Amino acid sequence: MDYELTVGEAAWRDEVRAFIRENVDPGLASETRLKGNEGRGPLALRFHRALRDAGWWGIAWPKQYGGLEKSAVEQWIFIDEIESAGAPMLPLTVTSVAPTIMRVGDEQQKREWLPRINAGEIDFALGYSEPEAGTDMASLRTHAVLDGDEWVVNGQKMWNTMAHTATHNWLAVRTEPDAPKHKGISMMIVPMDAPGVSVQPIWVWPGLRTNALFLDNVRVPRNYLVGERGAGFYYAAMALNFERLAIGSVGMGRRMFRNLVQLVREREVDGRPLKDEPWVRDRLARLQVDLEAGRMLGLETAWALEQGRMPAAESSMAKVFVSELVQRIADAGCEILGLDGQLHPEEPSALVEGRMQWLYRIAPMLAFGGGTNEVQRDIIGFLGYGLPRK
Amino acid sequence: MRPEPSTEQRELQAAAREVLSREVDPDKLLRWESDATGFDPALGRTVADLGWIALGLPAAAGGGGADLVDVASLVEECARGLLPRPLLGAIRSANVLAAIAPDDPLLGPIGRGESRLAVAIDEIRDRDPGRFSTRLGGSPAARIVSGGKAYVPDAAEAEFHLVASRAASQPVFVVVDRRSAGVSLQPLRTFGGDRQAHVHYRDAAVVREIASARGGADVLDRVWRVQTALALAEMTGGMSAVLDMTVEYVKQREQFGQKIAIFQAVRHQVADMGTTHTAARHLAWQAITRIASGRERDMEMTSAVAWVGQAFKRICWAAHHLHGGAGFVVEHRLRFHSERAQSLCVRYTPEAPALREIAAALLDAPV
Repeated sequence: MDYELTVGEAAWRDEVRAFIRENVDPGLASETRLKGNEGRGPLALRFHRALRDAGWWGIAWPKQYGGLEKSAVEQWIFIDEIESAGAPMLPLTVTSVAPTIMRVGDEQQKREWLPRINAGEIDFALGYSEPEAGTDMASLRTHAVLDGDEWVVNGQKMWNTMAHTATHNWLAVRTEPDAPKHKGISMMIVPMDAPGVSVQPIWVWPGLRTNALFLDNVRVPRNYLVGERGAGFYYAAMALNFERLAIGSVGMGRRMFRNLVQLVREREVDGRPLKDEPWVRDRLARLQVDLEAGRMLGLETAWALEQGRMPAAESSMAKVFVSELVQRIADAGCEILGLDGQLHPEEPSALVEGRMQWLYRIAPMLAFGGGTNEVQRDIIGFLGYGLPRK
Repeated sequence: MRPEPSTEQRELQAAAREVLSREVDPDKLLRWESDATGFDPALGRTVADLGWIALGLPAAAGGGGADLVDVASLVEECARGLLPRPLLGAIRSANVLAAIAPDDPLLGPIGRGESRLAVAIDEIRDRDPGRFSTRLGGSPAARIVSGGKAYVPDAAEAEFHLVASRAASQPVFVVVDRRSAGVSLQPLRTFGGDRQAHVHYRDAAVVREIASARGGADVLDRVWRVQTALALAEMTGGMSAVLDMTVEYVKQREQFGQKIAIFQAVRHQVADMGTTHTAARHLAWQAITRIASGRERDMEMTSAVAWVGQAFKRICWAAHHLHGGAGFVVEHRLRFHSERAQSLCVRYTPEAPALREIAAALLDAPV
């Protein structure tokens, strides 16, 4: 039993912190805040360029693909530190799609896509959901038919976040209409500039933009189907597992909590220090303990990955716990700030950068996004404890 | 980083599991519950002969010289297998004494199971050592102790008591022979199986004063840390057992013509039990390893205290709910774990003081 970072892991954490000190300034933090952590503002793009220049784009990738080949625990340290500093996260292209291509793509596909992802030339939107296929992704209807050496894709995707800035879409499409529904889906890369691709904005509650994606007889080269035909459902599940490693990080929650604690230490209400209110003290203490519990669950996921396991149950535990913890932080934050907590981030008098009401608005998404928490609990039951499906 | 037991710790746990599966069953647990000592003398001898009590004691006292993490691994497994509380208490108190007085002559007989030690700290209305009324008196050559200690586990059966008292304004631990004049006991019927009693010391002769170059507060602190570390291990062992038995139960139990694990409402409760257990296990073992190495920082131990006991109880409640009446009968193992969960929690990991401490560190400490 040992919970200490190794010398190498501690050195890596210090290196990440030094990078953050050098490359994250209040301007970047403010831009990230106002853009809802989309990471597409000019300062965010500059930060991402700095990451690439440092060779940190594919920190967990194998060296043969231009990565640093850092361990899963080191990757977790990186995510935790970046989120805790309020810097833009690495895009899912790098942390979710690329690791899936590495595992399931053929050699030609790896050679074609990975260097360009590593160079920052490729950025994916993720196309899983559809109007009639949300949690039940296997019911998706977008389909592709082979016509000579090209796939012809037709259909509609929902919640296709970043589609308006992405170069490509990582698309789940039905290619085997006669197969059982879970075995009829393939993963396909669709260039966003292909004729027949169109995007409509959808604005969501926290002020973020997502999109509806329309595909009308879009022609895609045959070898843009990644891995095996009909295995796409499982590839998407794999990509979602990688995604959950980031969602299950408490870095963002810790930053929000730290700012809230700082405010409580300084503020007076009704002529008394806010920090002397028993209910405030109790609520903050509970959240602090929960953050530590959430940190341990994230660490468990990273550790399992490092042992060569696909930690589906562990990442689901972290995802469920942390997403629901963020809701509690948001709620406590809003109540502690009281009427002031309603202020928009751009209001000059907004407290804790107006983030508590933003967190309150975005928190529900963390619980239903990336696979709903109901499905995560099913995964924990099935894969973690061997509960029967039928 | 290696947040899982070492090969040696796994082997130790496997050996303990084998012994306990043979020696402890619900019928015996029921019998021991109404028995004065709380366990069979033969089982007591087995535990001592296997070297479990002496595992963490110094080699000079005939001990195994293992560190606190190894001892906690053993305790975790013993709690999982429902080793009677007085025997778990024997392991705990031996390690407490070794932590504060590694040369104490009592360690040898305690490790061999020939003698037992009860740790007497709390008073009837006070858990804050600054308010303890038990005082050390007499002359340097003939110390005596006077005062009352409350809810002392194993007080009637242990031949010696390690008593927290005060000399001037300093806390000090003294060893008292329970059989000496001036020691009277009021046995209590409590749940949890650890044979508690109120003890009154009226000018009772002190066998030995535990000296410390770093002062009595340091000794008190070390006692608290060792007790807490081993209590956390007991809790993780208990909650593992409860989770496992619940998983097995929902996979077997049929209602409405199918296994109840098929129902999402049931499956999700098991999932939440599993998540709670996983987080609690890591919080507990992070604290235990840090206590063992003396490298505590931040609020890791206090966080474990605030979270793990509550987690154990939540897991037990959920297990009772999922077992229904089947887990409610007196001979079912579940209710023994549930009793221990609350009993451990109120003594070693009360939530409110831990939360108060965390709040103070967050809000009152200088930045």
